[in-house]
Amino acid sequence: MRINLDTPVVESREQRLGTIIAWDGKASELSKQSEYARKSCASGCGEKGRRLCEMKGPFTQGSVCSEQMVECQAGHIRDAVLIQHSPIGCGAGQVIYNSIYRNGLAMRNLPVENLRLISTNLKEQDMVFGGVDKLEQSIRDAWERHHPKAIFIATSCATGIIGDDVDGSARKMEGELGIPVIPLHCEGFMSKHWSTGFDATQHGIMRQIVRKNPTKQEDLVNVINLWGTDVFTPMFKELNLRVNFVVDLATVEDLAQMSEAAATVGFCHTLSSYLAAGLEQEFGVPEIKAPQPYGFPGTDAWLRELAKVTHREELAEAYIAREHLRVAPRIAELRVLLKGKKGFVSTGSAYAHGIIAVLRELGVEVDGSLVFHHDPIYDSQDPRQDTLAHLVDNYGDVPSFSVSNRQQYQFYGLLQRVKPDFIIIRHNGLAPLASRLGIPAAPLGDEHHALGYQGIINLGETILEILSHKKFHEDLAAHVTLPYKKWWLDQGDPFLLVKGD
Amino acid sequence: MQGAETVVTEGRTFPPLGPKTNSIQQVRYVCAIGAMHSASAIPWVIPITHCGPGCAEKQFGSLAMCNGFQGGGYGGGAVVPSTNISESEVVFGGENRLRELIRASLKILDAELFVVVTGCIPDLVGDDAGAVVREFQAEGVPVVLAETGGFKGTNFTGHELVTRAIIDQYVGEYAGGRTPGVVNVWSMLPYHNTFWQGDLSEIKRVLEGGGLKVNILFGHESEGVSEWKRIPQAQFNLVLSPWLGLRTAQHLEGKYGQPFLHLPIIPIGADETSSFLRKVVAFAGIDPSLAEEFIKKEERTYYHYLEGFGEFYSEYFWGMPAKFVVVGESAYNLALTRFLINDLGLMPGGQFITENPPEEYREAISREFRTIADDVVTHVAFEEDSYRIHTLIRQSDFGQKPPIILGTTWERDLAKEMRSAVVEVGFPASYEMVLSRTNVGYRGAIALLEKIYTTVVSGTA
Repeated sequence: MRINLDTPVVESREQRLGTIIAWDGKASELSKQSEYARKSCASGCGEKGRRLCEMKGPFTQGSVCSEQMVECQAGHIRDAVLIQHSPIGCGAGQVIYNSIYRNGLAMRNLPVENLRLISTNLKEQDMVFGGVDKLEQSIRDAWERHHPKAIFIATSCATGIIGDDVDGSARKMEGELGIPVIPLHCEGFMSKHWSTGFDATQHGIMRQIVRKNPTKQEDLVNVINLWGTDVFTPMFKELNLRVNFVVDLATVEDLAQMSEAAATVGFCHTLSSYLAAGLEQEFGVPEIKAPQPYGFPGTDAWLRELAKVTHREELAEAYIAREHLRVAPRIAELRVLLKGKKGFVSTGSAYAHGIIAVLRELGVEVDGSLVFHHDPIYDSQDPRQDTLAHLVDNYGDVPSFSVSNRQQYQFYGLLQRVKPDFIIIRHNGLAPLASRLGIPAAPLGDEHHALGYQGIINLGETILEILSHKKFHEDLAAHVTLPYKKWWLDQGDPFLLVKGD
Repeated sequence: MQGAETVVTEGRTFPPLGPKTNSIQQVRYVCAIGAMHSASAIPWVIPITHCGPGCAEKQFGSLAMCNGFQGGGYGGGAVVPSTNISESEVVFGGENRLRELIRASLKILDAELFVVVTGCIPDLVGDDAGAVVREFQAEGVPVVLAETGGFKGTNFTGHELVTRAIIDQYVGEYAGGRTPGVVNVWSMLPYHNTFWQGDLSEIKRVLEGGGLKVNILFGHESEGVSEWKRIPQAQFNLVLSPWLGLRTAQHLEGKYGQPFLHLPIIPIGADETSSFLRKVVAFAGIDPSLAEEFIKKEERTYYHYLEGFGEFYSEYFWGMPAKFVVVGESAYNLALTRFLINDLGLMPGGQFITENPPEEYREAISREFRTIADDVVTHVAFEEDSYRIHTLIRQSDFGQKPPIILGTTWERDLAKEMRSAVVEVGFPASYEMVLSRTNVGYRGAIALLEKIYTTVVSGTA
């Protein structure tokens, strides 16, 4: 199962990894069922004939598409422009991702500015005659307006169906302008899960931006993240390492030098899987094969592996010991304050595995979780990255563990099962329902908030803050009507309408 | 203003910017399926979207969340059902999938009416969504269809498609009489206009103050589909916007023989609002004495507050902008520009109309701006691409002080650069919290003054 950079179109998650978007059971059971994917997969066994059982039902609510993830990655590179080759509707995302970009820049102490996305604004006649002329015009506009270091092109459902030769236009304009012009194939209908959009962006970056003849920088570590607070620089300083944040808020040069780094890490394997594995395969940059840095065992193992790969074991051991001592007193206090509290985690897949670990470090009960998809394996195929197994092995089972691509109608029943005191979310759409049921949510807009040793404290403090909002949500809950029929709300099984295939 | 033509604003000349292209940077409207919000804006109505997996979420995140944090309401936001079209529906067609989704929605969701809207994919692969919806209509299910393929238009034109679908497929034929003094209001675009809820409430309040009975149709002050059912019984339709709603009113005129009154100016401030109410009352032919009494009472309150404002406005030490720029869709742009010129005596520094109004309405829109006041020259530019708009503003000479910008989030950087202030009054307003706030009528005008001058004053020290 090698990453194939020869073709401009990325292979979707479901093709590469066997990704599913609907499942219900125990975390341990899902982990067990996922074993097929990694069994004796030293290299490239890729049993595509086998797969996880996935449920499918008639009722679905609006999900998220791959193109949105391209907007939130390629659209957040500071000296590039992203062209949305699409009718104007896809451009609606410019508003959402601008808001994220601006606040992300502020969080990272970078100059706040609007993002640079341009829609080719295709109309009805373009659906008949094709839109490549408009694409080339918008590429020229991007160049004249901003002189970017690279221009990305996001395709759309419409251009995918009419069959515009986006690759041809990109090649032509790259020759004309002398900068990388990178097509990212991310038609929403091509993948059932939006995380393929991460892979599409990373695929294009590896093909056309990453330096092919790198000069190694032995203290540089790629950190694949979004826009979160810079908790890595102080941590890496302890190991005499430097941070190269990618892809969001990076410059094109930051992306180009990824091949020169000593290692690659991430905050979430869902996001970093493809790029980290590709950098190792194509450029020999080792991916840190470890659990994610959440909770004590995860963070310890992650730091040790990073130290081993970069030959800084002694520094790491000293740092680990110091940090354990430093955070222990407050964590002990938080455990007392949070005793008996029940949490529910509804976030992206690998990220949820990490967040549940942190909650259990804090003594919070986690009987239920909803993840937006599940990858039975990541691109590295390395068992040391099996985040779900790490969770189950170190912290025990999660009895109600559901995969559902943000289906609010199922969320009601999932909350009834475990009756949490609070939920933790990242994508929008679920917290509004929880709120109408009197349950507060902690939105982790800063994806680094719960990371590492300090992250355990951070998350505990945040939970205390949002538990105090309970007054608001309970008052609201007493005064709203849900749009769901009583028949549906009375069903015990949120997966009643879906069946295995 | 097409091509490399020289732009003239306020009698000054901007250098040519180069021809307009297809590019739109920093969107100011979305596609026709964005009008799913016109369905969810009606109480107990839920849209069903037949489109790719990201369309519904994008429109919601953009129009309802990152635009005043309005929220999705009862049947919007993440509640909205979607076929989340995958490759197999692209290849084999999506009619079965749509049928299955409608059937399941009826089971799970509690709505008085479902409005099916389509995206690019079904309209490109040729799904006969109409046939599917008609099957349900034949069973008596309250569901209608609007084909809103993204490449076919904007959320403005999509709004009229949704409106028309409900009228033709749900309200239906009517042969009875009309009730004097009852008016249907067609005005601002729900959700896209960040302040639509508060504004519609104020418009309703004013019209009721004049003795009219009002079908406001959108927002929580509407009675929902029962109110829509009564549309044909109303005496007349009021189109309160430069062009949006005109097609609907013309359609209703043809369908029910119902007359309409077109007032392009959404009233802001006492003068404009009183005159607005007098016009509507005269058109309705009802006794004006109620309206006059209401106007008297409202003006007393309005001028009480204005007197307080006058003290600030006349002797505030630290300077105030003399000029203003408005970047926004035609309805609000015209309303704000008139208020700031006629009621505050500010000077227009550029009025950018951003919603891409259909060609046929543009001359009439421009005329409205030209005739705001005898002593002020106002020229408008129809521009959708923020790069062009910002370049034109940068190239302007505003004299000794930068103008105040009434615009959107897209103008935040520009305002910083110009050491100016921006008040986010339209889509996208990602740094405004807007719930019931209004900028129109009597009460809205006062709230608008508070907002504009809080922004000005808080930027001084």
